[in-house]
Amino acid sequence: MIIQRISRIISNYEMIMPLFAGAVTVLFVVAIFSLPLPYYEEQLYPKTFDPASPLNPYDRGGPPFTQVEIKDQYPENSPTAGYVTTYLTPFSWYLANTTLYLGTTIVAHPGGILDEILYNTRGLDTVVEPTILFIAFAIASYLYRKG
Amino acid sequence: MWQEYSIGLLLVFIAAVVAFFALVVEKDDLHRLLLLDLVEVPSLGIIALLGTDLAEALILPGLVVGIAELLALSQIYVTKEGLREKAVRGLNIEVIQADAPLIISVLLICYGIVLSGFTGGGVAGLGVVFYFMARGHREHFELLEMASGISWAIWIFAFFVFMFIPEYWLLALFMAAIGILMKVIVKMSLVGTMWGDGNG
Amino acid sequence: MDSLGGTPYYILEFGDELVYFSPYTVSLFLLALVFTLFAVIAKPERQVDIAFGGDAYYAKETSLQELKFRRFMAIACGFASMGAMVTGDVFNFTLFISLVGICNVGIVAAVKNRHVQNAAYQYGIVALAATVPLFGAAATIAATTGTLSMVELWSNATPAVPPVVKALLVLGVMGEGMAPFYAAKAEMFRAPGAPYVIMCSLSSLLIFLRVIEVVLVI
Repeated sequence: MIIQRISRIISNYEMIMPLFAGAVTVLFVVAIFSLPLPYYEEQLYPKTFDPASPLNPYDRGGPPFTQVEIKDQYPENSPTAGYVTTYLTPFSWYLANTTLYLGTTIVAHPGGILDEILYNTRGLDTVVEPTILFIAFAIASYLYRKG
Repeated sequence: MWQEYSIGLLLVFIAAVVAFFALVVEKDDLHRLLLLDLVEVPSLGIIALLGTDLAEALILPGLVVGIAELLALSQIYVTKEGLREKAVRGLNIEVIQADAPLIISVLLICYGIVLSGFTGGGVAGLGVVFYFMARGHREHFELLEMASGISWAIWIFAFFVFMFIPEYWLLALFMAAIGILMKVIVKMSLVGTMWGDGNG
Repeated sequence: MDSLGGTPYYILEFGDELVYFSPYTVSLFLLALVFTLFAVIAKPERQVDIAFGGDAYYAKETSLQELKFRRFMAIACGFASMGAMVTGDVFNFTLFISLVGICNVGIVAAVKNRHVQNAAYQYGIVALAATVPLFGAAATIAATTGTLSMVELWSNATPAVPPVVKALLVLGVMGEGMAPFYAAKAEMFRAPGAPYVIMCSLSSLLIFLRVIEVVLVI
C-alpha cells in the first residue's frame, strides 16, 4: 500500500525537484550539526596583504621576468609558475605606478596570481569551465533559432 | 574549536537550508528558476570561506557554471512555454539615432581590447550590446557561434602550451587572455542580439 | 601509491591536476570511449506512426540540423564522462560532472516536443541545484585537508575528510546523474531520442561508479 503510494508520487517527474531539494536541505541541516569543521592551516596559495602596494590584495610578484616562489601542489609539474604572477602589461605597469588601486581591477590585466592559477597550475579547470559555457551557449542558440 | 571558518560555514549552511527549503515548497516553474539563482549564492559562499588565492580561482568556474546553466535553462523555459518574442525596435531616442552609438561602441571596444581578460571582455561586450540595442540588426548567430568556437580553441591551445612547452608561457598567457576576451564579448553580444532581433 | 582502483599505470600531469589511469579508471574510460564512438557512427532512428483506420504508415524525419546537434551533444557528453573518469582532482571532478549534466540537458532538450522540453527543464533545475552540494563539498575538502589532489588525499598525510562532506559530494553527483529518469519519463528511449539518449544513461552510470571510488579513497 504505502509503497504503491510512494511510487505513484515519485513516478511524477515534477516531484523529483522538491524531493531532491528536500534531500539537500536535510543534508545541510546535518552539516550544521556536524560543525565545527577543522580548518587546515597549511593551505595552498595562501593570501597575504600589503596595503602599501598598488597591487594589493594580489601582490605576489617581484620584478617582471623573474620567478617568484608560489606555494602550489606540485611545483615540479609547473616549472614556469611564478612568471605569470610577476608579469604586467606596459599599460598596467603605468597604472600601477600612478595609482594605488590597480589591485581592484587586476582581473582586467594579464598576469597576477589569479591568472597563474587559472591558466597555468589549475589550467584544466579553466578548460572545462569555458566548455560548459560553450555547451550551454550551443543549447540556447539552437533552441532560439529553432524556436 | 569554533574558529572563524566554522562560524562562516554555519551562516552559509543556514542560508543554503533556507534557499533549498524555498525550492521545496515553490511550485511555479519560473519562480524555481529565480530561486536557483539564489541557491547558487551559498555555494559561492562556501568556496569563498576557503580564504586563499585558490578560493578566488575556484569561484570563477563556480560562477560561470551557474550562469551558463541559467542561460540554457531560461531558453528551454521560453521554448517550453511557447513564449513568442516581441519585436523590439531600436531605442527611439534622437541622440542614439545619430552617430553616437557607433562612436561610443568603438571607444568601448578599443578600451576593452586594451584591458583584455575578463573585464576587457565585459567592457568591449558592453559596446557591442549597446550598438545592437541602439541600432537593431539581423541576427548573425552563425558568426557569433563561430567566434565562440574560435576563442575556445585559442584557450585550449594556450592550455597545452602551458602544460607541455612551458618555456613559451608568455605566448600562452596572451593567447589565454585573447581567448577569454573574445569569449566574453561573444556572450554579451548575444544579449544584444536577442534584444534587438526582429527589425532590419 | 596504492589505491582502491589499483596502482595507476600512468599519471598525466597538468600542473596541479593529475590525470591518472588505474585499472579501475581505465576500464570506465574505455567504456565511455566505446560508447562515444558508437554515438559518432550511429544513425538516428526514425519514429514510425501508423495512420489509424488504414494500412498506411509514415516515418518522421529527423532534420539534419537536429541530428547534428544531438550527435554533437552526445559526443560532448562522452568526452565529459571520459574526463570525469580519469581526473585526479576533486574540483576538476565536480566540474566534469557539471559538464556531463549540462550535456544531458542538451541531449534531452534537443527534441522539439513540449512534453520532452518540460522534462528537460525539470532535469536542468535539478542539475543546476546539484552544483551547490558539489562545489560546496569540493571547497570544504580543500579547507579541511589543505589539498584538492586525490593522490594527496589517499596518502593519509592529510586529515580525514568529514563524512558529511562526502555525503554532499555523493548527493551532488546523484542530482547531476538523474537524467535517465527524465528521459525515461518523457518516453525518449524508443522513438525521438534514440540512439543518442543512451549517452544519458551511460554517463550517469559511469559518474556513479566513479564517485564511489572517489568517496572511498579520500
